[in-house]
Amino acid sequence: MDRALRSRLERRFGERLLGPVVQRHDETEIRVSAGDATDTILALHDEPDLHFAFLADLAGVDTGERMQVVYHLWSETSKDWLRVVVDGLDREAPRCPSVTFLWKGAEWMEREAYDMFGIVFEGNRDVRRIYLPAAYTSFPLRKDFHLPDDASRSPGRGVRPMEESLPPRDATPATNLRRAQAG
Amino acid sequence: MTSQTHRPHPSLDDPSISIEDVLRESIVDTVPVARTEREAEFYTLGDGELLLNMGPQHPSTHGVLRVVLKLDGERVVDIDPVLGYLHRGVEKLCENADWHQAICYTDPLEYVASLFCEWAPVMAFEKLADVQVPRRAEYIRVLTGELNRIASHALFMGWFALDLGGLTPILWSFIERDEMMDMLAAITGQKLLFNYYRIGGVNGDISHEFMSRLGDWMTRAGHQVEANTGLLNENEILVRRARGMGVLDKATALRMAVTGPNIRASGIPFDVRRAHPYSVYPELEFDIPTRQEGDSLARYLLRMDEIKQSLRIIDQCLHQMPDGPVMAKVPRLIRPRPGRSWAAVEGPRGMYGTYAISDGTDQPFRMRIHDPSFVHLQLVSLLTPGNLIADTMAIMASLDPVMGGVDK
Repeated sequence: MDRALRSRLERRFGERLLGPVVQRHDETEIRVSAGDATDTILALHDEPDLHFAFLADLAGVDTGERMQVVYHLWSETSKDWLRVVVDGLDREAPRCPSVTFLWKGAEWMEREAYDMFGIVFEGNRDVRRIYLPAAYTSFPLRKDFHLPDDASRSPGRGVRPMEESLPPRDATPATNLRRAQAG
Repeated sequence: MTSQTHRPHPSLDDPSISIEDVLRESIVDTVPVARTEREAEFYTLGDGELLLNMGPQHPSTHGVLRVVLKLDGERVVDIDPVLGYLHRGVEKLCENADWHQAICYTDPLEYVASLFCEWAPVMAFEKLADVQVPRRAEYIRVLTGELNRIASHALFMGWFALDLGGLTPILWSFIERDEMMDMLAAITGQKLLFNYYRIGGVNGDISHEFMSRLGDWMTRAGHQVEANTGLLNENEILVRRARGMGVLDKATALRMAVTGPNIRASGIPFDVRRAHPYSVYPELEFDIPTRQEGDSLARYLLRMDEIKQSLRIIDQCLHQMPDGPVMAKVPRLIRPRPGRSWAAVEGPRGMYGTYAISDGTDQPFRMRIHDPSFVHLQLVSLLTPGNLIADTMAIMASLDPVMGGVDK
């Protein structure tokens, strides 16, 4: 555990943190809200006494009550992995700022989080499904999606509001046109 | 999993639609309705550009990968990889298994170096359950892991040459790889998906057969590596086609979250074994080879250098390995106290990580698997534009992605 990192984080981000800095084994965890996420990560990346320039992982989490986006960062200034939890995203329409402006490599990880949880990343220019077919309408890693049924009996099945606005994927442009002409 | 574009065309039976309409529509059909900025950019064709679909059954895509190429003549303008043909939903399956069972789902992720896929979740679960691993077990993990790393790099050598049109090296590298796989099978019981690491240790001590075969192999391994790389390192066709191709510079490598040999070939000496030491690596002596060029050739040569370092590590493990148990006392059913943990290991392709959340039950609440191949495949659309189609394959091969890990 890196005690020095803990005091540095508390001093720098004090009032912004949701809850205390948690340390266990070789990990340090801080929690911020979605509104503070960009500023916090930018400060962690840029400031020379922190300099977390290395993105190890980006993961979505559904706690059952709310959504989270979890970043794991590495820096040569600390012996610990730093975990940044962006907490308190609305489960019905989760939105989180993108980090692709810092790490372009996060683009696919964010696409995966969208595919699995429906978290929309603002600023990512390619938020579309990555593994599942484009016509798929559920987000399988959400806690209301139960195995083994393919969402057919899950409360999490069906079309979600953010997908309703998009045109049906099985319609070709020409059939869309015909449909429009037919009135 | 069906693709919308591969259905028989619905209007073929409709006499009111002429064949010209159908043809025109079919071409338009392959272009999806743009939903994002990037998709709109990719599927807007400039003058003289055309789209070509490669895969999912193309032999040089190392698995089941479909790539949409945007071409201008034979030059690649842009690339859009389409994933998901191997998606099994491993993370969801792990959340529905208990802590011990979850490990076996992670094996087939990376069928070329499956020990590393087990290692990361096992370490994460041990942290959650506060299990202390016996030192002999740690040494066995390092020993078998490094052996698997050599096997993976040997196969990479063959694949890389195969994608450049050389058939001989893959036959040579399979001789060595088979020997290593047989040795690992002698202690793990399986030849490809070992399922050998357990929470708290390994499944069974190393056997006499393994030790004698490893001793035999170690005496000639260095010579074999020299012979195999001698076949390729000075091969003019390989060197000319790989040098200066797909150059990845330092800043881009960091920005793309690249790890493993690919970032070290760009001059950044990031290796989890040294950057964030785990297991008994702090007690072992080895170098982190780096190269400055960042091209396909550097990525190939770096992996060959790593084989030599892995042989050094194996040699030290054999000499320093202590006696003792190989398994801590861990109950059959564990319920770690609620918490979160992250563990990362350095695999042959880069950093494998696992982020596990426990809610105090016998099943993981959330298990996230980070696979390096998934991150590295993004580089393809960055490094290949401007090159010929055949060189695209060479650049992709030099990044060494394995689709089992990409698609999870």
